[in-house]
Amino acid sequence: MAPTDLVQFSGHHHLRLRLVLSILSGKAVRIDKIRSDDKNPGLRDFEISLLRLLEKVTNGTVIEISVTGTAILLKPGIISGGPLVHDCPLSRSIGYFLEPIVMLAPFAKKPFQLTLRGITTDEHDLSVDLFRTVTLPHLQLFGISDGLELRIKRRGAPPAGGGEVQFLCPIVKQVKTLNFVEPGKIKRIRGIAHAVRVNPQFSNRMIEASRSILNRYIPDIYLYSDVYKGEESGKSPGYALSLLAESTTSALHCSEAISQPGVAPEDIALQATRALLAEIDKGGCVDRQHQTLVLLMMVLGSEDVGRCRMGEPTLRTIQFLRDVRSFFGTSFKITTADPLDKECSHLLYSCYGTGYMNANRTVA
Amino acid sequence: MDDRPHKAHRPSTSGGKVDKKDKGKGKEKQHGFNEKAFAPKSGRRADRQGRRNVERDQTRLHVPLVNRTPDSEPPPVIIAIVGPPGVGKTTLLKSLVRRYTKQTLNDVKGPVTVVSGKKRRLTFIECNNDLNSMIDIGKIADLVLLMIDGSFGFEMETFEFLNVLQSHGFPKVIGILTHLDLIKKAATLKDTKKALKKRFWTEIYQGAKLFYLSGVLNGRYPDTEILNLSRFVSVMKFRPLVFRNAHPYLLADRIEDLTPREQVRQSKGKCDRNVTVYGYVRGTNLRLGTKVHIPGVGDLEMKGVTILGDPCPLPDADSEKRRKLSEKKKLLIHAPMSDIGGVMYDKDAVWINVPGSFTRGNADVPQGEGEQMVMDLQDAGATLEDGVAQSHIRLFGSSAKHLTVEAAVDDDDESDGYEDEDESGEEEEDDSGIDSGEDDNDDADDAEEAAPHPYSTGRSTRRDVKRTLPTASSSKVQRADVEYAESDSDLGDEDEDEGMGKRFRMEDGDALDIPSDDGEGEEDEGDDDEETAPKWKSNLAAKAQAASSNSRRRKDWMKLIYSSGLTPEEVLSGKEEEQMAVDEEEDDGEFFRFKKVSIKDADDEVDASKEAWKEEDLKKWEDDDMLDSIRGLFITGPVAQEGGEAEGEGYEDAEDAGGDFEDLEAGDGAAPAASQPLKAESSRAAALAAKKEELKRKFDEQYDDPESSKVDFYTEKKDEISRQLQLNIEEFKDVPVESRALVEGFRPGTYVRIELTDVPCEMIEHFDPTYPIIVGGLLPAEERFGYVQVRIKRHRWYVKTLKTNDPLIFSLGWRRFQSVPIYSLDDHSIRMRMLKYTPEHMHCYATFYGPVSLPNTGFCAFNSLAADTPGFRVSATGVVLDIDRSVKIVKKIKLTGVPYKIFKNTAFVRDMFSTALEVAKFEGANIRTVSGIRGQVKKGLSKPDGAFRATFEDKVLKSDIIFLRAWYSIQPRKFYNPVTSLLLSDKSQWTGMRLTGQVRRDEGIKTPLNVNSTYKRVERPERRFNPLIIPKKLQAALPYASKPRLMKPQRQQTYMQKRAVVMEPEERKAVALLQQIRALRKDQVARRKEKKNEKKAVHQKKVEKEEERKGEKVKERKKEVMRATGRKSKREAEAEEGRGSKRRKTQT
Repeated sequence: MAPTDLVQFSGHHHLRLRLVLSILSGKAVRIDKIRSDDKNPGLRDFEISLLRLLEKVTNGTVIEISVTGTAILLKPGIISGGPLVHDCPLSRSIGYFLEPIVMLAPFAKKPFQLTLRGITTDEHDLSVDLFRTVTLPHLQLFGISDGLELRIKRRGAPPAGGGEVQFLCPIVKQVKTLNFVEPGKIKRIRGIAHAVRVNPQFSNRMIEASRSILNRYIPDIYLYSDVYKGEESGKSPGYALSLLAESTTSALHCSEAISQPGVAPEDIALQATRALLAEIDKGGCVDRQHQTLVLLMMVLGSEDVGRCRMGEPTLRTIQFLRDVRSFFGTSFKITTADPLDKECSHLLYSCYGTGYMNANRTVA
Repeated sequence: MDDRPHKAHRPSTSGGKVDKKDKGKGKEKQHGFNEKAFAPKSGRRADRQGRRNVERDQTRLHVPLVNRTPDSEPPPVIIAIVGPPGVGKTTLLKSLVRRYTKQTLNDVKGPVTVVSGKKRRLTFIECNNDLNSMIDIGKIADLVLLMIDGSFGFEMETFEFLNVLQSHGFPKVIGILTHLDLIKKAATLKDTKKALKKRFWTEIYQGAKLFYLSGVLNGRYPDTEILNLSRFVSVMKFRPLVFRNAHPYLLADRIEDLTPREQVRQSKGKCDRNVTVYGYVRGTNLRLGTKVHIPGVGDLEMKGVTILGDPCPLPDADSEKRRKLSEKKKLLIHAPMSDIGGVMYDKDAVWINVPGSFTRGNADVPQGEGEQMVMDLQDAGATLEDGVAQSHIRLFGSSAKHLTVEAAVDDDDESDGYEDEDESGEEEEDDSGIDSGEDDNDDADDAEEAAPHPYSTGRSTRRDVKRTLPTASSSKVQRADVEYAESDSDLGDEDEDEGMGKRFRMEDGDALDIPSDDGEGEEDEGDDDEETAPKWKSNLAAKAQAASSNSRRRKDWMKLIYSSGLTPEEVLSGKEEEQMAVDEEEDDGEFFRFKKVSIKDADDEVDASKEAWKEEDLKKWEDDDMLDSIRGLFITGPVAQEGGEAEGEGYEDAEDAGGDFEDLEAGDGAAPAASQPLKAESSRAAALAAKKEELKRKFDEQYDDPESSKVDFYTEKKDEISRQLQLNIEEFKDVPVESRALVEGFRPGTYVRIELTDVPCEMIEHFDPTYPIIVGGLLPAEERFGYVQVRIKRHRWYVKTLKTNDPLIFSLGWRRFQSVPIYSLDDHSIRMRMLKYTPEHMHCYATFYGPVSLPNTGFCAFNSLAADTPGFRVSATGVVLDIDRSVKIVKKIKLTGVPYKIFKNTAFVRDMFSTALEVAKFEGANIRTVSGIRGQVKKGLSKPDGAFRATFEDKVLKSDIIFLRAWYSIQPRKFYNPVTSLLLSDKSQWTGMRLTGQVRRDEGIKTPLNVNSTYKRVERPERRFNPLIIPKKLQAALPYASKPRLMKPQRQQTYMQKRAVVMEPEERKAVALLQQIRALRKDQVARRKEKKNEKKAVHQKKVEKEEERKGEKVKERKKEVMRATGRKSKREAEAEEGRGSKRRKTQT
């Protein structure tokens, strides 16, 4: 292979997005110096597990890991999809694994039916509730909608996990170009409070506390109490509140907070609610957690100009934009959304899509 | 007689004639369309007519396709002239070019571009008779002028070409019949025309345009006929083809070798070359960082792309006002391969072509524009050095001080690329006249370089000979692109000259580029001692930008993200840009840098998608004021949203500054406070205006045009497409050309120069302008390799069947390559079963290893491309279905064994497997005897290796063969051999992998013969069955039923058989009588039967009548009952509805 077909990085940061970009663009990626200065060098167990998952969902992928585990080389194959099962390690939640899969799934050969087992909610990654209610609607912006589903079969709180979700995703030929510049105004707030292996009253307490703040804004607030029993409730006790606010143009903002030892459920609820308000305050059409997903889909759109209004890029987003350029050669035009308004912190991201076609798809 | 004026005619204004005329006029008006005549006579007919109209409307519609070619400056339409040799292609091309440019070309090579109208340019290209050329031309031509020798008829190549077109997307085709003057007889001519037209129509479509060119006059076709043809061409509309609408491509109208001569000399011409190709971008946007494929050469890397001035521009705005194209514009012709015009413009050089040896005083050489220029240069009295020394060059008209040449600039250090160009130019052009001219420019360069002016923009006018050429180089940027991502840690050490950075002037002395990072673009010819392009010009744009936007305070995210070496953390926390610039400066100055100490501890940083909010961010939401401040963001919020929102955001910014943007605090906090009220006012006004506009639009929609709201699907889609196209144009309108090319690539219609690296030297050495050079852009997916599954059908005109594992030449996408397919068929959706040969008149699947193409791409295949191949060469056509990295094709395998011991239904079988392990693998597998007894493998036996116990549904015979049907999976061979026809000196003589038999035939090797494979006479001895002999004793003991009945047929005649009967006369009489009586009786019975039947029929009729009457009665009764129940139910329903009895009246 020509040397330009290999993209090099160092460090363990942003590993998932780089792997995703590599698989989508078809360029091999080499990542070295993975925690090389650490006491415990090399890849962690969840990263290994992620690599295994990626190997499962693709066909023809070659992954080479150095002896010390501090360098990997990934030569991507094609995304095959289909029915798959993967057990996630307990060091990270399902969200960690689901996030790259969501980016890959629309471009697979066969529709995804991926069952993931492990922790459904933890403090690092998006919970499966948010995936279901926020991330998947973001894919709908790009024309990926029919048959897109995340089924929460069982919940599993950290540390022991025991949860199970099934992710179903259709395949598309090409994603639609996004033109999303109107953030709109918040018209409804939804939330899910769940409690497993604890007093079911906890979820009601969380809802009440959250409503004490949110009620002042709009009347259209529904916070569901979602209690799982027996088998479906996993192996560890825990509870969490996830909130989402939807605007008139169906821009979504979300937040969540999960149980911590020694903190009352009310405080957890307040934490989630305040985070939601902070998120709403940041504004834009896409919230911070989903910037990368939306930007990626814009890059993969047809050869037209896609536009999206968002807040300032996060750390991940900044690195992601740089990585996108090294993989796809696409750079974004980032301008302030409202040139008249000096204080406007919103930015308008526009790019010319690469015209990415799902070459894996089978016809007839 | 002529000058005598005629008396004007005075029509009468009264009288019968006038009345008559008026009447006639009235009638005439009705001539056009008599509505009454076409009005439907009945409702049904009206309905049918309406339906038909709607259906006809639907057939007009096509799937809305986005046309990526811009309407404003489209690339020239490619018109390919195709036909067998001697049919008059060149004559037609010359005639057409003469029609458009009033020039007669002597020797046409390569594409010829002319301006044909205000908005249309045409590129003519003649296609030679090589199948490779025809394939390539078919992939890019917008319009094909298919020439057919009328006196001969269609030739095989024509049909082959049409089939190639069919599989790659059909462009428009106009047929042209020539040599019709050779047919002398009028009737024959008519018949020929008719026959050819019929055949042509069946090939293209019914009613396809066919032109007749009668004969050649003065080496051209008659002007009127050409005029007609050109009119057809000028109004032709083109529908975008799917493949071309997804790929960028260009037809190279010029090609130059940029490899340093020295390198070529040292390697004896065998080194890989750096080549530039020139042409108009077509299809979609050409992006940097992708690969291109030149059919006949291979996949190549684009080192850089430069926009050049259009060599054959469309008429500009002032001439646009005129209705017709002015004569002067018409004369524009661009045909670099044909050496027309004499002057060619490159990015930074002008090539003057001088025919023959060129010396002063050579009067017979025609003196064109270019020659004149060289002459003038030769006229120079003083040497260049003198000239430079004496001349005063001012950079700007306003500059007070002129530039001086400093001795310090020595030749070795001259980091200018033009020098290289000169050298190459020198050797190519073989005359020294140019050199001096070029040197002049070089020195001017040096002078400028020496100038200390930091904002020097000097070069755009320097080389101006006739017109300015807007050039925009972006190769540098592209290289920066690639190397950019080498690693996180050395993000900072590249120089960023993308035009966004705020830059200070850099010294360009030291080499900063280590070879792998060496990106400085196009002039870097690889001379090691010479430096790359001058630094001072690399960041001109940046400097200009910096100068203009010095005062801006807002964060420039694009710059921070894409062109700064800051880590994301630093970007977010707003590190000073000045600092950054200084950093860079330091970087540039030194070769090595200190390794940056990693700021963050690796362990506490997790790759988390959920970003935790900081404590203080959440804390502030405990405050009630804070909570109220975002009310405006909800639908229930205050109405005066604009102000409120701004307020809120301002607040938030300040807050954020406290948290994140420590450095910006001073700047950000102070500025908005002052401008707040003013800005709020203006924004409010703007918002009000926008709102009014919106309301007005809504009102209009509702009341003005009710039709506009309910458009059909088709129009809706079309609107959507046009809206998106509009947006595409608008979005990057204000972006400068270079960065625009960076963001969206090079748009179709721009004339570009593509620099390709590592081009095989044969392409240059064996370059032949009559073979088209096409640069096809590849999608990222198409650069990869894999197993391609296609649906394929052998062409019905191809005489042989195709065999699995025989090499086949595919023309798929841009590529032509040889690969080894395996044919297969879907066996009950269970398995893909290999086929040894392609089926007749049927599609099958084929799987081969090769470069990936998107599903749904059409292809055609050939067994041989050579011209001497007899018969039709297109062997198969098809379409890509699937791309994968592994394949599952199986072929049937039958394992046979023989029973060596047979029990009742059990048998021990050997010779099927060789080890017990194999048996274990097949335990439970179904087996069968040849006679059809089914069974199962049970268990392996220990004694003879590979023997096993099997059970059957019946007892098997020892003579039975037992077989096991299994499936063996096979993989296509990983063989890919691109057709590198352009690299050959004799381009039509490409040979790929040959079949074994072919090789043997060519080499004269005999086929090795396996003794066991020879056919021998099978000698089958007659099988004799011994008679079953049962011992007497046993026979006696058998029960009677089982006793063998061995009775021989009676041999002797019986007693009765032996006797003859002779009757007495009475006896004979009696017998005769009896016979007569029997006959009579028979007759009687027959007659009686007939009578009876007649009676029966009558009775039947009667009964039927009766039955009918009865049925009527029953029916009546039933009706009565139903009526009653109906009435009842109706009444009930009405009672329920509570309606009056009005409805009931109608019921009886």
